[in-house]
Amino acid sequence: MGKYMKYEIKGTYKVILGILAIVLIATTVLYNYTAKNESSLIIALASLLIFGTFLSAFLYIVGSFRKELYEDRGYLTFTLPLTGNQILGAKLIVAFMWFLILGAITVSYNIFMMAKTSGETINFKELLSLINSSEIISFAIMILISGISTLILIYFSMALSRVTLRNRKIGGMWFIIFLILSAFIAWIQMKIVTISPYYINLKDWSIVNSNISALFQIEIDNASLMFSTEDYFYINIAGFITNIITGIILFLGTGHIIEKKIDL
Amino acid sequence: MENLVEIKKLSKNYFNKKALDNLDLTIEEGKVLGILGPNGSGKTTLIKILTGLLRQSKGEVLIDGHKVGVYTKSIVSYLPDRNFLYNWMTIEDAFKFYSDFYSDFDLKRGEELLDFMKLGKDMKITSLSKGMTEKLNLTLVLSRKAKLYILDEPIAGVDPVARDQILDAIIKNYDSNSSMIITTHLVRDMENLFDDVAFLKDGEVILKGNAEELREEKGKSIDEIYKEIFSE
Repeated sequence: MGKYMKYEIKGTYKVILGILAIVLIATTVLYNYTAKNESSLIIALASLLIFGTFLSAFLYIVGSFRKELYEDRGYLTFTLPLTGNQILGAKLIVAFMWFLILGAITVSYNIFMMAKTSGETINFKELLSLINSSEIISFAIMILISGISTLILIYFSMALSRVTLRNRKIGGMWFIIFLILSAFIAWIQMKIVTISPYYINLKDWSIVNSNISALFQIEIDNASLMFSTEDYFYINIAGFITNIITGIILFLGTGHIIEKKIDL
Repeated sequence: MENLVEIKKLSKNYFNKKALDNLDLTIEEGKVLGILGPNGSGKTTLIKILTGLLRQSKGEVLIDGHKVGVYTKSIVSYLPDRNFLYNWMTIEDAFKFYSDFYSDFDLKRGEELLDFMKLGKDMKITSLSKGMTEKLNLTLVLSRKAKLYILDEPIAGVDPVARDQILDAIIKNYDSNSSMIITTHLVRDMENLFDDVAFLKDGEVILKGNAEELREEKGKSIDEIYKEIFSE
């Protein structure tokens, strides 16, 4: 699997670095040429740039999996002496790595540019304590987990549409499968959250029941997977576990399809 | 001699079309089998099932006693009828890739073959002509010391000079302990390679046997038998 990861990185790094170069140049231009008193505009545009970076990397990674299923390169990939899970696992780990690198670099570059253009020095201690806070870490982990589970769901939808519908003309079918599965999974999650309304507070690890907590009655409707206030960050325990289990099932399902079912 | 490949009652349907119909075939260790038939006769379908790219609808396939899977992929060296290497690669990358994934890859043999084919390691996959691509693919496939080689239309669409080079490479580098399956409709160029032949028509084996015995029995070359069968 490690070997396959190496070739995944070799095959994708040029495009990822290209995306990174473009976004760094755009960020530099943004901070240098936007009027300094327009700070809210800068923040809005910078956030848009970061979002754009992730979206283009995401689309590229999704597109390269599609190429394995529909183009001649699949003849090499799927005749390697590897299991479906190894191929899929390597692809997901490399995608995860790229998102981490892109996220870390774009966010740090924004902080650097912000400090540089405003003339203030960066207080690393303050910054570090901000990053170290449990809410930020939990939030980042949640974002990454949901990003990866979305990616697994997309891979699963593509593999499923490849084995059920061989006609290339309706290749976009995977998206419809993806939408239906997403809705179904969200529905199951909502049911589970309603049945088990226990939330964990990531700040102090206390557990609350949303049905009897006054805070919840005001703040949210009862079936949310997570929510945050200024002081708290809550995640539904059963919902979160369901999320992880769904991810594992979809991973194994995709691995099984590409190893045992795919017809190229 | 033991059978390396055993195919029993193999069928493959695409919705209402039968691509393979109740096919029985065995390949002995150390033998070269030619699977002969026109386009659409089911040759590529059969090979894709043997390499794990396609699933049978019915029947059984065993390679070295195992069902098609990770193990069989590690002992089968497969030349597809298309450009299967990743576009970002150079020939050097492709060599590293093969030696990373296949423990039977013989780098020395690979380099000799590359020289013989007049290809350079720094060439990019995307810059190769059709004939060069075919030569490179064959170089990689023959550089493995595999138990079974599967070559799907190895000389289709290449010029006569490249064709001779490719045939030469197959003859010189073929390991007599290994088995080989070659599909082709260009029978005249390849018939001297085959120990056994199987003629495939509409997904069925209509004639099979030892190539030499068939020539004697019919008093014709394999190419002439091919033309007789498929011109009907």
